[in-house]
Amino acid sequence: MTSTVLFYLLSVVSIVFALGVLFNPNPIFSALYLVLTMIGMSLMFFNLEAYFIGGVQLIVYAGAVTVLFVMVLMLFDLKKEKQAFTKGLFSSLLKYFSAGALLFMISGASLMSMGLMTEGAEKAEPITTKQLAALLFTDYFFAFEVLGIILLVVAIGAVTISRIRGGTHAK
Amino acid sequence: MLSSMMMEVGLGHYLFVGAAIFIIGMLTVLMRKNVIVILMGIELMLNAVNLTIVSFSHFSNNVNGQILAFFVMTIAAAEAGVGLALAVTVFKKFKDVKISFFEHLRG
Amino acid sequence: MGSDIFEISVNAVKIVALFLLMVQIVPLLVWVERRGSAFIQNRFGPNRVGPLGLTQLLADAVKFIFKEEFIPEKGRAFIFYAAPVVALLPATLAFVSLPLSAPVNVETFEMFGQSWGPYTFQFQGFDFGLGIVYVLGVSSLATYSMLMAGWSSSNKFSLFGGLRASAQMISYELALGLSIVGILILYGTFDFKTMIAAQQGALSFHFFGEMVTIPFLPNWGIFYQPLGAVLFLVAVFAESNRLPFDLPEAESELVAGYHTEYGGMKFNMFFIGEYGHMLVASALMAIFYFGGYNIPFVTPEQLSGFLEGFGYVGTTNSLMTSFLLHLCMFLKILFFLWVFIWVRWTLPRFRYDQLMDLGWKTMLPWALANTIITAIVVFVMRM
Repeated sequence: MTSTVLFYLLSVVSIVFALGVLFNPNPIFSALYLVLTMIGMSLMFFNLEAYFIGGVQLIVYAGAVTVLFVMVLMLFDLKKEKQAFTKGLFSSLLKYFSAGALLFMISGASLMSMGLMTEGAEKAEPITTKQLAALLFTDYFFAFEVLGIILLVVAIGAVTISRIRGGTHAK
Repeated sequence: MLSSMMMEVGLGHYLFVGAAIFIIGMLTVLMRKNVIVILMGIELMLNAVNLTIVSFSHFSNNVNGQILAFFVMTIAAAEAGVGLALAVTVFKKFKDVKISFFEHLRG
Repeated sequence: MGSDIFEISVNAVKIVALFLLMVQIVPLLVWVERRGSAFIQNRFGPNRVGPLGLTQLLADAVKFIFKEEFIPEKGRAFIFYAAPVVALLPATLAFVSLPLSAPVNVETFEMFGQSWGPYTFQFQGFDFGLGIVYVLGVSSLATYSMLMAGWSSSNKFSLFGGLRASAQMISYELALGLSIVGILILYGTFDFKTMIAAQQGALSFHFFGEMVTIPFLPNWGIFYQPLGAVLFLVAVFAESNRLPFDLPEAESELVAGYHTEYGGMKFNMFFIGEYGHMLVASALMAIFYFGGYNIPFVTPEQLSGFLEGFGYVGTTNSLMTSFLLHLCMFLKILFFLWVFIWVRWTLPRFRYDQLMDLGWKTMLPWALANTIITAIVVFVMRM
């Protein structure tokens, strides 16, 4: 019962805030809406009993990635954009229409294929972090290592890109 | 029929929410001009995919889904870092971050 | 989670009490800070209003409430109002998930002509079984209040303060997260209560398959993780924006940083948020490295047995044990709060590049080294 109420509350909140990201012409407000969406999604993960993923979502998305967005936007100090959206009535109508068609198709497809999915084993207990860790360091160990290398490359790359043409630390 | 569907939240409900947020993210990418807002749209899409994966994992009682979501999150963070670095570079040159400025990147 | 009225009402009271505990400790800390700074700098400090200047706080509160409201003309009113509220949230949410004492067992009793079954009340707001991950996640949201305050004030000093704050917090979050990995490997859990339970009694550990016991030291995390403890303390100072890391509000450079434009109660809420962070940080320090609510060398069972010797049994015994352990926890927390104040009035402020160098070039490598060495040592010793 609680999880049902929570699901409706959180899904409405997440979708409304996501719409805020889309429609607010000021990028900083978009970023702040994005934070709220992320928090809503992380609570949704808690509701799905994926506690570790929810916590990581809070740390990584809400705590780091979106802070970067907000920070960069404030650093630029952009004024309210006169032209936040792309031009052209016909093309935007086309975009909205195709997005709606895609949503319709996805939800229709998932409804139709619901019967195909066999129910898993009876719900025992929620997946613990220990199980996750054991799997991560055995079956997925190679992927985990590659991920580490990717992060290293990305860190070096980001520093290099943003230091081009001077930057704040230029001698 | 309808009320019983409303009361019992199953996989389909979560999939629909995931799809809706994905579509909103896609529209953000399509409609906005600001590079950083476009990156936000990409984050929204990745998050929606994560929600789908985690709900599949929850309803089929499978651990692998959560690991996949974990990987997606890491990659999304990395992608945001690089994207923002690019945006900073573009801003230094043009004093604005419209997506059309990326036409001038070459060589 | 409880299902009957008694349990639900006790849980509700508990959550309110924890919040009030956090909010009410702030005026006392302000008093300690002012008197302490005066003591360190060889002055008197507030000593006119009431005994030892204690009622100065009431006078301050009255002043805060009656101050004129002010919004910058070009500012964003909604965000300007929202920022102080957001400043309060993370510390509160983090604090309610910390266990402050051993659980209280209530035996069956009669009330209102009904019998109420046995209960166990955790001395903790709620428990996801997620422990430190949740605390880190929630407290990383604190950056937004500073960014929002800095941006909505439409003041250059405020904006720079907010930007500095966010850069600093992102940088030190890495060091903070890595410095506790050693503790996580050691105890093999995210959960605070399991960690605290592992720190009972005298220092004893596996040494190549044999149990070694050192009777004159308590079984505290700091003896296993001295480097981790130092790194954690420094990172926590940076996260709560206290001197020597208070670059976001460096008054000689930025007037008052992100809260330049704030006055009255709104300013006070930033203040409460900062002290809330200190409180959470002190509690985490106590839990990870100083045995949590354990009294050194005494396990909770021994304590409750000792109390039984005085004729306290059943519910009373459990309550007394919990209370004594809570007192012990609070003494530890108060000690670390005093360390925060002590350091603030002792060390000068960093320069910004020094701050970044410390975070990225010193603390991060040391934290990584600590992680790797701990992993190897734990693996070898337990063989």
